[in-house]
Amino acid sequence: MHELQIAQNIIIIVNEELVRRQVRKKVREIALVIGQMRAIIPETLRFSFNIQKKRHTQLEESELLIRENDIVVKCNDCQHQFKIQEPQFYCQKCHSANIEILSGNELYVDSIELAD
Amino acid sequence: MKIQIVRDVLEANDQLADQIRELSKTHHVTLINIMSSPGSGKTSLLEQVIPVLQSYALRIGVIEGDITTTADAERIARFEIPVSQINTEPFGGDCHLGSEVIMPALQQFDLNGLDLVFIENVGNLVCPAEFDTGANHNFVIISITEGEDKPLKYPLMFRVCNTAIINKIDLQPYLELDVGILEKNIHQIHPDSRILKCSAKSGENIDQVVDHIRKLVNK
Repeated sequence: MHELQIAQNIIIIVNEELVRRQVRKKVREIALVIGQMRAIIPETLRFSFNIQKKRHTQLEESELLIRENDIVVKCNDCQHQFKIQEPQFYCQKCHSANIEILSGNELYVDSIELAD
Repeated sequence: MKIQIVRDVLEANDQLADQIRELSKTHHVTLINIMSSPGSGKTSLLEQVIPVLQSYALRIGVIEGDITTTADAERIARFEIPVSQINTEPFGGDCHLGSEVIMPALQQFDLNGLDLVFIENVGNLVCPAEFDTGANHNFVIISITEGEDKPLKYPLMFRVCNTAIINKIDLQPYLELDVGILEKNIHQIHPDSRILKCSAKSGENIDQVVDHIRKLVNK
C-alpha cells in the first residue's frame, strides 16, 4: 500500500519541476526507475498514480514508464559481480557475506516527456 | 520534448529523517524503530523491557503508531513515561510511519529529559521498511508462529534491520517450526544481523534484549 504515497510523491516532484522550469505543456510520460529491492508492485503503483493524476491538469494524460532495475551485487572478498535472482545476500562463488549492493535500491523520477 | 529530472521519490521523507537524526543527536537521545507483522509482540516486548531499562535509570519515551485505537498507548502509559500517539486514519489507516509524523511526535517530548525513544511502528512487514523514520536503529520482531520463510518473503525489512528479535520462543513445544532455519534465513538476507531469541510473555531471555538495547544507548 506504500505505492499510494509513492504515487503522490511522484506527482509532487513532477509538479515542482514544471513550476520551477515554467513548463505549461502537458506531460505525456513520466519515466521512473525502481530497483527490485524496493518491493514496489508496478501495477499497484500505476493504478494509484492513474487515480491521483486526474486532479492535475498537466498530468491527467500522462503515463508512468517504469524501468525495473535488477539487484546487482559485488563480493568485496573475491570481487565476483552478479545479479541476485533469489533473496540470498551472499557471494555465489566464495559464499562470503561481505557483499555490496551496486544496484537495486533505486527509486527516482528519471525524466518526463512533454506532449507536443 | 524530454526533461531530465533524476529526483529520489522519497527525498522529502529522507531529508526529514536526517533532521530527526540531527535532533536526536543534539539531545543525546537514541531512537529505536520497532517493526513487525501485526501480533508479533511489539507492545508486549516493550512492556517487558521498559521496566528493566528504567531500573538502569534510563529515561524512556514511546511513539505509538497504532492504527485508530489508543489501546497500545494505554498499555505503555502505565509505566508513567511520555507516550506520543500517532493515529493514522480510521477505517483505512496508513500502513507505515513516515518521518513527517515522527518529527511532530518527537517534538512533543522534552528531549533533554530522555535517553531513549522507542518508535512502535504499524504492524506490517512491507511498507514500514520503505520509509526512513529517522531512527538510529531498526529492530524487526518475528514470532515463531509466523513461519521460517518470512525473511525470504520480506527481504527489504530484514535488510534494513540490524537487530532481529525472534519472539514467542515459549511456544516452541507446540510448533513444527525450526528456529535454526529461521535464523539461517535471516542471515541469508542480512549476514550481520544480530539475532536475539526471547519470549515477551514468559520473560525468557528478556535480559539479553535489555543488554543489547543498553549497549546501543551507550549510557
